Amino acid sequence: MANVIVNRVAEFLKSFPPFSFLGKEELEIVAASVEIKYFEKDERLFLQGEPAQPHFFVVKDGGFALTEKKDSGEDIIEYCDQGDVFGVLALLGKRPYVLNAHAAEDSLLYFVPVSVFESILNQNSRVALYFAAGFASGQVVVRQDLSQSQKARKVFRNDSSDHSLLIFSDPSVIKISENVLTANENLNIQEAAKKMAFEEVSSIVIVNDQNHPKGIITDKDLRKRVVAEGVSLATPVSQLMTKNIIVKKSDSSFSDLYLCMIKNRLHHLVLTKDGTIHSSVCGIISDHDVLLSMGNSPAVLIHALLNTLDLGEMKMIRDRAEQMLRYYLENEVAMDFVASVMTEINDVILTQANIIAQKKHAADYPELEKVKYCFLSLGSEGRQEQLLRTDQDNAILYDDVPDHLKDKANEYFLKIGSEIVEVLIHCGVSPCPGDIMASNPKWVQPLSKWKEYFSDWILKPTEEALLNSSIFFDYRPIAGSKLLADLLTEHIYEEIGKKHFFLNFLAKNAYMNPAPLGFFKGFVVEKSGEHRDQFDIKARAMMPLADLARLLIFSHGVIKINNTFKRFEKLAELEPVYQDLFIQAGKAYEILMRMRALEGLQQGNNGRYIDPEKLGKLQKQLLKNTFSPISELQEIVRVRFQLDYFLK
Amino acid sequence: MSWWLFNRKKANQKSFVKEYLEKAKKSIPNIRSFDQLSFVVLDTETTGLNPAEDHILSFGAVKIQGEKIQIASSVEWYLNSTKKGKEAIIIHGLMGNEKKVSLENFSIQLLEYLGNNILVGHHLGFDLEMLQKALRPVGLERFPNPCIDTAQLAIRIDHGLMVDRNRINFKEYTLDFLCQRFKIKTHDRHTAGGDAFLTASLFLKLLKLASKKGIDNWGLLNK
Repeated sequence: MANVIVNRVAEFLKSFPPFSFLGKEELEIVAASVEIKYFEKDERLFLQGEPAQPHFFVVKDGGFALTEKKDSGEDIIEYCDQGDVFGVLALLGKRPYVLNAHAAEDSLLYFVPVSVFESILNQNSRVALYFAAGFASGQVVVRQDLSQSQKARKVFRNDSSDHSLLIFSDPSVIKISENVLTANENLNIQEAAKKMAFEEVSSIVIVNDQNHPKGIITDKDLRKRVVAEGVSLATPVSQLMTKNIIVKKSDSSFSDLYLCMIKNRLHHLVLTKDGTIHSSVCGIISDHDVLLSMGNSPAVLIHALLNTLDLGEMKMIRDRAEQMLRYYLENEVAMDFVASVMTEINDVILTQANIIAQKKHAADYPELEKVKYCFLSLGSEGRQEQLLRTDQDNAILYDDVPDHLKDKANEYFLKIGSEIVEVLIHCGVSPCPGDIMASNPKWVQPLSKWKEYFSDWILKPTEEALLNSSIFFDYRPIAGSKLLADLLTEHIYEEIGKKHFFLNFLAKNAYMNPAPLGFFKGFVVEKSGEHRDQFDIKARAMMPLADLARLLIFSHGVIKINNTFKRFEKLAELEPVYQDLFIQAGKAYEILMRMRALEGLQQGNNGRYIDPEKLGKLQKQLLKNTFSPISELQEIVRVRFQLDYFLK
Repeated sequence: MSWWLFNRKKANQKSFVKEYLEKAKKSIPNIRSFDQLSFVVLDTETTGLNPAEDHILSFGAVKIQGEKIQIASSVEWYLNSTKKGKEAIIIHGLMGNEKKVSLENFSIQLLEYLGNNILVGHHLGFDLEMLQKALRPVGLERFPNPCIDTAQLAIRIDHGLMVDRNRINFKEYTLDFLCQRFKIKTHDRHTAGGDAFLTASLFLKLLKLASKKGIDNWGLLNK
């Protein structure tokens, strides 16, 4: 057993990648080989071009700057703080250092011998992958200003093990259905197909009287051997089934089963008691099940979602998506990619929910079959910014119907909306506290009514109207007819064009948002209630930015972009004078989204409230830096929309 | 362990003690810089604070070479003893489950480990007194190694060599206080290994501070 000193070093290393991927013993070996040195501020560790030392470095306390010599002086390329690993090029390539390193403050540095780590690198593929992926600092990563979000990552770093690099999740998760649909050999094709349709499965195992497998018929067989060939539906299954099937023992290991499927190009693998065809059928595994058990890649998750209407499975996949999200956030994957992947997953869930709803209710309303409708996501989901399953905001927009169908349409679409909302709740998306959901009759309306709503909000910008505008103006069509949504968008565009005053009200609203910092540059925290002394990152930092982006983009007559970064990106293009500011604002928003999502994942809530006391000095600074674009933008808005005059 | 040994004027020097004493004779040139020096930072946990009555429960140490703490050299040894100090068990949490070494083996290991390194400790005098008492049966009277007390070093850095010791607030020079001042997080306090590790971290920082004041070689440090 390692002594208390080795344990102390291991304890520290353990919470930072790549050491977090090591097993206890490997970690002890590494920890026991560490050397610790103290550096005073500005003391040099190595210089550009010097041969690699037999160590790489981990910052224990303090911080190190990696700099590059240029004609103009030294540029800081990277700043490493607690837990950051650098000097790894030496580990990987045994090449001279490409950067200079010096202590940016008084620092303790761990020296990890390359020789000890090399053997681990060879054995532990996750560690190798980590380095290969270039996550370790010091490989030249150029960052600018606010995009030092690497630090944000540490704010909320969680010490949980990392799941995402596993190609397969825990084998116990793999679902092998034990309820196998079987049929007797003398059944005919039509009867077998009926059974499959009724059970909603893609295969049927043909068995003899002792329940021993004789063959299998799958969806594909019905298509290829029956429909395409024009075979009579009365043909007995025994003539069409795939005979000589391959079976496996039911308690075989997963890898065994999976390899068997790959080798034999099987979509379905039948399991029997003793692994021969002379014993009874006791399970079946399909390639769909296998796919589900495979890691957390977006493609796999989306594919799996598209192939299921089972609520339990949908929820499981959505939960899995959250693990993937956590991995992405912790590893600094670009925010626009993360947001679009999560949006895509959420959208597929909605589309599937829509199918479930239609299946359930469409048959009862045949007269409405032709009526177009569109399911809209609103608020953050509408802006494609919802990473966590915070509350849902949605609505249904349907085509205008003749008078005699009005009541029916109302009833039908409300049922559809309510069903979708229920599916979402089942998948873990909490209901909207303000009841802005497609289950509320107020928000399930025909196009004419929606036009009326928007005209009204634009014409009479009451407080409620302005509040609504921040949610409803960011709608996005998800399922159904997108054309309807486009019609509504055009209408809004015309209305705003006519009534310019609306923008001034919107501006006033964006300007009046609560300030994030108090007079003494401290965070403004909640004064009372459940979140007392916590900082409301949504209301004080994110909403102001989203509101400002919306207002400014509307003022340019751009209606169709409804994502906050993309709005800032477009604004940077439209107003080159303020280009830098808009780019900063977009980045700030990105950092805030990341912080909130990580906080939420860690606390298991919506991440809205952050305790400033728990933030380190650097993290506080990072958060504060995101505020500076807010006040600058507010100032522009104040002047541009003459708020001094308007507020009186 | 037999207690009558302590009453003897001089025990017979065991051969490993002689060997150790021989090695330790080699002195360190004054001009040697810090990164060329080899230190053993040590701490002991004892049954109490009275060298006459109490004895050592455990010994922890780590070496510093090239101004780097060598974790690989860290050791923590628990001593087999006939006495069990109740108070000590409460403070140090030593429950007697640790693997223990006999006094003789401890002596052999210890002297080999110390070699001719410079010994460093916080209030080192006490630890050495306890160790010397424990090693008397094998014939060691006192450790010939050069010694540095981190408490004294800190005082010297702050106030110089010629300070009037009556004017020093010694509370500011406890291990806890200094760790706080030098921003060293205290973990595993009151275990021999933990305290030795903390003392080593403190010592690294003190060495840097000393160089800034012009104390940058062995001769100056050993004044």
